[in-house]
Amino acid sequence: MATLRIWAAGDGSGDVHWAYRPLARPAFPSIEDSQNTAHEARQHPVDLFVAARLAKEGWQLAPRAERRLLIRRLAYDLLGVPPNPREIDDFVADERPDAWERLVDRYLNSPEYGERWARHWMDAVHFAETHGNDQDRIRTNAWPYRDYLVNAFNADVPYTQFIQEQIAGDVLFPEKPAVTAALGMIAAGPWDESSLRDIREDTLDRQIGRYLDRDDMIGTVMATVISTSVQCARCHDHKFDPVPQRDYYALQAVFAGVERADRAYDLDPGLHHERQSLLQRKRAIGRKEKDLEAELLSAAGQGRIAHWELEQREAERAAHWQVLKPAQLASTEGSILSTETDHAVVSGGPTPVRDTYRVAVAGPLTGITAFRLEVLKDRRLPQHGPGRQTNGNFHLSEFAVTIGSGVRVALEDPTADFNQEGSSVQKALDKDEKTAWGIHPEVGKNHAAVFQLATPLTVAAGESAVFELKQFHGESHLIGRFRIAATTQPRPVRLAQRPGNISRILDMPVTERSTADRLELSWWWAERDLTDRLKKLPLPRSVYAAASEFEPNGSQVPSLRPRPIHVLGRGEITRPGAAADPGALACLVSLRSRFDLPLDAEEGVRRAALAGWLTALENSLTWRSIVNRVWHHHFGRGLVETLNDFGRAGAIPSHPELLDWLAVWFRDDAAGSFKRLHRLLLTSATWQQSATAQSGAAARDSDNRLLWRMNALRLDAEAIRDAVLRVSGDLDSRMGGPSDRQFELKAGIHVTPRVDYTVFSQGGPESCRRSVYRFLFRTLPDPFMSALDCPAGDQLVPVRSNSVTVQQALALWNDPLVLHQSLRFAGRLGRELPGPEAAIRRACEWCWGRPPTPDEAEALARYAERHGVAQVARLLFNSNEFVFVN
Amino acid sequence: MNPPPAKVLGTSRREFLSQLGGGLGGVALAWFLDQNVLRGGRTPLPAAVPDFVPRAGSQFRPRAKRVIQLFMNGGASPMDTFDYKPELIRRHGQKFDPGDGRRVEAATSVPGMVMKSPFEWRQHGQCGRWVSSVLPCMAESVDDLAFLMSMTSRTNVHGPASYLMNTGSLLSGFPCMGSWLSYGLGRITDSLPSFVVLPDPRGLPYNQKGNFSSGFLPVGHQGTVFNTAGNELIAHLHAPSGNPLAIPAAEREGRELLASLNRRHQAAHETDLRLEGRIEAYELAARMQLSAPEAMDLEGETPATRQLYGMDQPVTADYGRRCLLARRLIERGVRFVQVWSGAGGASGNWDNHGSIARELPPIAAATDRPIAGLLRDLRARGLLEDTLVLWNTEFGRMPFTQGSDGRDHNGGTFVGWMAGAGVRAGVAYGESDPWAWQAGPGAVSTYDFHATVLHLLGLDHTKVAVYHNGVSRRLTDVHGEVIRAVLA
Repeated sequence: MATLRIWAAGDGSGDVHWAYRPLARPAFPSIEDSQNTAHEARQHPVDLFVAARLAKEGWQLAPRAERRLLIRRLAYDLLGVPPNPREIDDFVADERPDAWERLVDRYLNSPEYGERWARHWMDAVHFAETHGNDQDRIRTNAWPYRDYLVNAFNADVPYTQFIQEQIAGDVLFPEKPAVTAALGMIAAGPWDESSLRDIREDTLDRQIGRYLDRDDMIGTVMATVISTSVQCARCHDHKFDPVPQRDYYALQAVFAGVERADRAYDLDPGLHHERQSLLQRKRAIGRKEKDLEAELLSAAGQGRIAHWELEQREAERAAHWQVLKPAQLASTEGSILSTETDHAVVSGGPTPVRDTYRVAVAGPLTGITAFRLEVLKDRRLPQHGPGRQTNGNFHLSEFAVTIGSGVRVALEDPTADFNQEGSSVQKALDKDEKTAWGIHPEVGKNHAAVFQLATPLTVAAGESAVFELKQFHGESHLIGRFRIAATTQPRPVRLAQRPGNISRILDMPVTERSTADRLELSWWWAERDLTDRLKKLPLPRSVYAAASEFEPNGSQVPSLRPRPIHVLGRGEITRPGAAADPGALACLVSLRSRFDLPLDAEEGVRRAALAGWLTALENSLTWRSIVNRVWHHHFGRGLVETLNDFGRAGAIPSHPELLDWLAVWFRDDAAGSFKRLHRLLLTSATWQQSATAQSGAAARDSDNRLLWRMNALRLDAEAIRDAVLRVSGDLDSRMGGPSDRQFELKAGIHVTPRVDYTVFSQGGPESCRRSVYRFLFRTLPDPFMSALDCPAGDQLVPVRSNSVTVQQALALWNDPLVLHQSLRFAGRLGRELPGPEAAIRRACEWCWGRPPTPDEAEALARYAERHGVAQVARLLFNSNEFVFVN
Repeated sequence: MNPPPAKVLGTSRREFLSQLGGGLGGVALAWFLDQNVLRGGRTPLPAAVPDFVPRAGSQFRPRAKRVIQLFMNGGASPMDTFDYKPELIRRHGQKFDPGDGRRVEAATSVPGMVMKSPFEWRQHGQCGRWVSSVLPCMAESVDDLAFLMSMTSRTNVHGPASYLMNTGSLLSGFPCMGSWLSYGLGRITDSLPSFVVLPDPRGLPYNQKGNFSSGFLPVGHQGTVFNTAGNELIAHLHAPSGNPLAIPAAEREGRELLASLNRRHQAAHETDLRLEGRIEAYELAARMQLSAPEAMDLEGETPATRQLYGMDQPVTADYGRRCLLARRLIERGVRFVQVWSGAGGASGNWDNHGSIARELPPIAAATDRPIAGLLRDLRARGLLEDTLVLWNTEFGRMPFTQGSDGRDHNGGTFVGWMAGAGVRAGVAYGESDPWAWQAGPGAVSTYDFHATVLHLLGLDHTKVAVYHNGVSRRLTDVHGEVIRAVLA
């Protein structure tokens, strides 16, 4: 038997590969066998191409499927839930000539459409809500991107805009701050917290981590938008495709200014603009841009600083710190504490790994508003202290004060004159003993922290206040010398944080300061002032997204400028070659591959340039890619089977002219409207064919590549779960917002929490919304959904696998969700219907889209009689006819 | 490498069968062989699909049929276990300077002073292998083992290193070795999963379930976690007890009725093999409900056996029990069993940043007798003939101190060993530099290690490949050399 040959023209050497060729609208084919092809197949563009190809083999489209099957197919396709039995009956009985078009439109206008189709995109960009890897931390703010997608599909955002918003919405649509959430696409994938936050900044592992992190961003964008696999070119020029290493590193350069982080934005455009301008100015200050110097050194600029200095000095004078004399000292782990004449406490003797110091101070104390902890330098300490660690540092894990018989005093809003990166004084009050206040590298100097009291404190004579200094973080990071003081000055009592060099300048009389000193002070002061002004704005919204500006997270800090990118020899970090400029691929000859941006342009300009390149009308890959992706989700297989790879190692189109026709039509006629594309495909006779095999074609094209029938599709994990909830009547239609955590969450040994899906109350408020709102845990995914092939968000998943496994059978048979909803379904049927016979009939209509045959009805009734309708429901949820759509 | 030929279409049946787990090993195998041929490989397709014998790219017979991998989570220190370094004694307390101006850095700390191993060292067995005093029982087994003395990683960070050692990639989302073997070789038994993971009851390792993921291979090949600590042995094996629907008679009758409804439905859709597959899956599920608890039931094991594994001592009871379970599982046809020592996190594992002297002995002791017992038991039962035993970790540790006497991560060099089927016992391949800082002659990459394991199972690592998102993916990426020196 001859193998069916599917051939794309121009696959031979020397020709331009099909995917890189410019797009042109092909003419409609003429169909050769006029008598075989039904009249209606000649009316619809899709059918014309498909039928013409079939006719070459002497085949034709299958007859239209019956209406019952069609409405079920359509409901799962567009909405991901089954049709209501009443809807089925209505549609079957609808005699209007446009009954089908009306149904398609009704479903397209349902908000459930966006919930269904957003999930396809989430698969494609490997969205999940934890970092993955060994420190699989929760991303509390990932969900706004999911909501962006649901809304974008429902609002039918044109494709060009859809892509531009996700790559550079912040730059291209500044008037619409809500689209900031779209930048979640770039950050959707995993993030290696250990490599990018916790290990040392000066290691090769950190640099490797950064390249790999950007590699994931590039891969996500290029595979999803232009179906091109570029990542091979990290180590060498692509073997099969025209992607040289220099193009790959040009893409690295596009993303060299962003990281994955929580990104602040505001829905109110005015507020958004204000915050973003302050942030932008702060960046410029941080970069010490030359043209700001004059402004800072002007009389007005210096006047503001002088005014501030005056205020500071007055505040310090007003504070009246009273140094407290320790009455009793104790160490729980063996450090030897002693008091000196200035009431300072010195720690010596053995150096335990961790320790808790307790200092008791006798009353009376009256109307105390704040305590100050001074940590003091001392020549006897390593690096002159103030810590006992070899590097002179200490880690204060927790600071607490109790009075009387252990009543804890409420402390808040602490400040320090210096905070170590990632170890600010707030960590000494966060009740987390694994975090601490430290002062590295500003060792060998005095430092202080001030802890304010929530309400003024009075300690009676005869009573005492006990200060507790827990030092658990790291190893032997103990304080060497310290002193405690109190004040009654009205709140706020705060310390201004100052780096060492700034303290030096401030301690100098103004007249003795050099221009360089004044400038240095001005840079520092301006940044501080902007931080204060930003803090005074209302709290922003936050989305986990590509960000160039974000709150430092440990040693992950925003880079003031895009990081330099080098072409790496064989992809090795130790072999950096030429510097790479931002750009895209040279294989599309009609587009400029290098962006030629000014060197000092903000990083967002790079992303905007890439967004422009991706969405150019001439970008043939983009338009072919998206129509193929949509086709896949309607037919179960793309015209090109490898959705993310249109290169030479990928598949070739089964219907190249149809692919190009659709790409041009979608771009030009439909102006990138997904809904118009859906409508076009769904109204074709090709889509509405029966899924039943025809003997002739089955023998030669068992895979149905030529579409001589519809493919029968297995429901995906979300559709199965949502269908179960819909038929039981429990599906909760609330949309959006933080994800539902369908597990018990406990603190883990390290960063990754413990997650237990078996300890979760079915029927609670977080159990019944649509699956798109489930919380997605990368390394600890829901075993029920995993068994049904729901991806974990590690890899880009353009096409879900469709497995049949023992684990899957066990999951569908035994999962608490299925069991609970079987009972709920039975309860609903019992309430709504007069008896078991009617209940079983309705149950089959919900699950199979049809009433049972008399035999089936009888067998199910007998089973229900012995074991109840709920067991029937469980059985139906496990049946092949439920999990497949014909 | 030539560009691949135009793609021939039509793999859905084979694809489907491979997803089902093959049922018979050869079917899945034939699929990827087939794929490989389509992608331009040179191996001709076997004329007929064999019943079982794996033929993977194989011009050679498999030496091993199954694998037990003992994974020491956290980075077991080589210079404190198997890699004796007199140079560290000589330089103890000095600043670490490897010479040649080579840069010394550590992942999480400032490099400290050179630190000798705080333990006693002796030579053992006929082969005279040096073993430190923390592993006295394993020391007695050295003549059964083949050491890879200088394995190397590409990273000093747990997450990527654990992925690299398990999946051959620094990134998440790739299939682990157990999944590749399950996928490539198919099932030996229908009653148990082909790839079982026995995690430390204290918690999952770094990367949690990412280390047992089937990545882009079908989900049926992912590691099935047997939870020896919790109340649910395998997820979904039974309905939760106490659930009103958990009634054996109803479930039995329900399954029969389900099968008959499914058959009736299938009659109308004969060509769709997935439907037949689902019917079979429910039959197998019923079988697994019986066989999994049986495999985990240690009632029938003698006191002598329990003692051999250290189950009579609190320190070794847990790891001993899991080693014994591993033996029972491979006896019953499980292809790959992974037994983890230590959870993720900073303590209770092999990640001894704080103090080698304090932290290493307890975790070593917890595994030492059980592992030696496992080797002895496998040998006594003849199972070592066709079972490969692997002892691994994700990286080594630094020759200098972290804090007072801990050691930081070091991907430069570390030790692993193999034993059993097809392994040349009593050899040591490769050596690290004088400080166990970097690899020396005979360095073995994780790719080489994976290539060697695949080879022992009759698979050519260059031919076990699957196309995914534009790339033909292998466990060994584009690297890997079989280490012939450790083959019998």
